[in-house]
Formats: sequence, C-alpha cells, structure tokens
Amino acid sequence: MLVFMSWACEVHAHGVGYRQSGMKAVALEFFYSTGEKMSYREAKVFSPKDEKFAVQSGRTDEAGRFAFVPDCEGEWRVIVRDEEGHQCEAKIDVTPELEAVSPGQQEEPLYVRALLGVSIIFNIAMIFYRREKHAH
Amino acid sequence: MHISEGILSGSVLAAGWLGSAAGISYGLKKTDTAKIVRTALISSAFFLASLVNVRIGPSSTHLTLLAPMGLVLGFGVFPAVFVALLLQALLFHFGGLLVLGVNTFIMSASALLVYVLFGKFIRGGRYAVVFSFVAGVTAVMTGACLVGAALGMTDGNFFTAAKIIIIAHIPVALIEGVVTVFLMSWLKKSAPEFLS
Repeated sequence: MLVFMSWACEVHAHGVGYRQSGMKAVALEFFYSTGEKMSYREAKVFSPKDEKFAVQSGRTDEAGRFAFVPDCEGEWRVIVRDEEGHQCEAKIDVTPELEAVSPGQQEEPLYVRALLGVSIIFNIAMIFYRREKHAH
Repeated sequence: MHISEGILSGSVLAAGWLGSAAGISYGLKKTDTAKIVRTALISSAFFLASLVNVRIGPSSTHLTLLAPMGLVLGFGVFPAVFVALLLQALLFHFGGLLVLGVNTFIMSASALLVYVLFGKFIRGGRYAVVFSFVAGVTAVMTGACLVGAALGMTDGNFFTAAKIIIIAHIPVALIEGVVTVFLMSWLKKSAPEFLS
C-alpha cells in the first residue's frame, strides 16, 4: 500500500528548478514627465515577430522598472500604461548579438518642453490676433 | 483623463474628430480679437496643469482645470483645449494624435457643459461659491463619464475599466471643485472681465 502511495505521489508531483540564464536582459525605467516613477503599472512586451500579441506582460516595480529578455534581433516594444490613460512606449533596437542595445533618443528636460509648449500657444495666438486685426 | 492611442475603435475616433472639428470651428468664430490672448492664457494654464500632480493614496493624478476653462472661455474652450492637448501629446506623451479628436471633445464638452449650466449663477454672485464647487465636480465627473462611454462604445468588455475610471475620478473631482472655488473667487475680485 505504502509503495503504491509513494509511486502515486511521484506521478502527480511536477518537478521545478532553476538555473541562472546567460542571456542579456533589457531593463527599463518608466516615469511621468513630472519625474514621478510609473510604479506598479501594467507593462506589455511586443517582439518584432508579432506586433499584435504581447510575448510578456506584467507590472513595473516600485521604482518604475521593468525587464525582459529578447531572444531575437529587431525592434522590441514595451508599453506601460496606467488607469488614467497615460501610456509610455519604449522602442528598443536589439542587435544580432543581443549585446548592444540602443535606448533611443533622450528627451529634453521637462521645463524646456513646458516652456516650448507655452511659447507655441502664444505664437499661435499672435498669428490669429494679427489676422483678426488685419481683417477689421 | 487622456485616452491612450490604440484603444478606441475607428468609428469612435471618427466621431470624436467630427465633434471636435465642429466645436473648434464654432469656437474660433466666437473668439474675437479681445479674447485671443485670454484664450492663449487659459490654454497655457491647462497645458501646464497636467504637470501638477495630486497624490491620492498610492496613486496620483493631475489637475485638469476643466470648469475654470469652460467658465472663462465658453465656446472658445474647444480651440484652447485642442492646442493644449496637441502639445501635451507631442511634448509630454499624454494621450495621442489619433485619439486627439476624442480627447478634445470629451474635455471641451465637459467644460462647456458647466459654462452653460452654472456660468450665469457663478457670475451672479449669490451662492457663487457653492455653484463654483459643483461646477468643478460636474466638469470632471462628466469628463470621466464620457471617457467611460467612449470605452464602452468601443468594446463591451471595457465597461469594467470605465467603471474604474469613473470611481477613480471622484477624489479628483472634489479637488477640482475646491480649486474652481478659489479660482473663481480670485477672478471675480481681480479680473472680473474674464468672466464677462
């Protein structure tokens, strides 16, 4: 009876294990334009082979970090979004050797973009103002 | 309150662009020379308000200033919101370009609604504080409901998400109500012509 039970346990139990992977991971940090970290936000990874269905999904950590391991070359996309509709899409170019990973262009500081936006709004207003003035 | 790119269906996106185009065109007609600088000023405030974060528990959101915009600009809110949202999409990655029409319509219509419903009472003086608060709350909750409706029209499965969005905006609506009270009181004292 005991022999039978021990055999049954062996059949039903799935073995698990782990080993350290030698593959290179891509780690990204996501943040709002205010500098605040996108903590615990939904993240999806799209490989160059399939742009519609995510190959990996999960959440960023407290520091807004998310990592994935690319297994083929090409442009990988990581989309992180929150419940309010804010979305950040990272595009990562993975080289054939999976070694050199270029993070793409860095943006201007926030205050520069804010000033640029206000400047554009007032420039548009001035164009309308002049046009209206000439019309009268 | 910004809906991201790639979520809504083509018909909802098209309806948003149509509504926004009509609103922008009518708003530009209603915006005379004297109101252009005012519109730019309010549009800039709305553009920058997205950078002011309000912490709510573990999460955070940002101010929208929908009610003050509507109460000051009236129909002129459509072009003001459109330009600000376009720049927010390009410079801060809030929302997106394809979904810009829907986002513009949702925010402008919410702002315009409080102008139509409460504008007269807030300018009138009696109970202006109460009406300002209600206007602030109404604008945000209307916007949240419209976001929910846009998501619901795209796919029935989005109703759960829509419910979450509406509930999540209740604290923001209360904060906006208080902000609207302060802004309207200040404008009535310092620049009453803005509310004329």
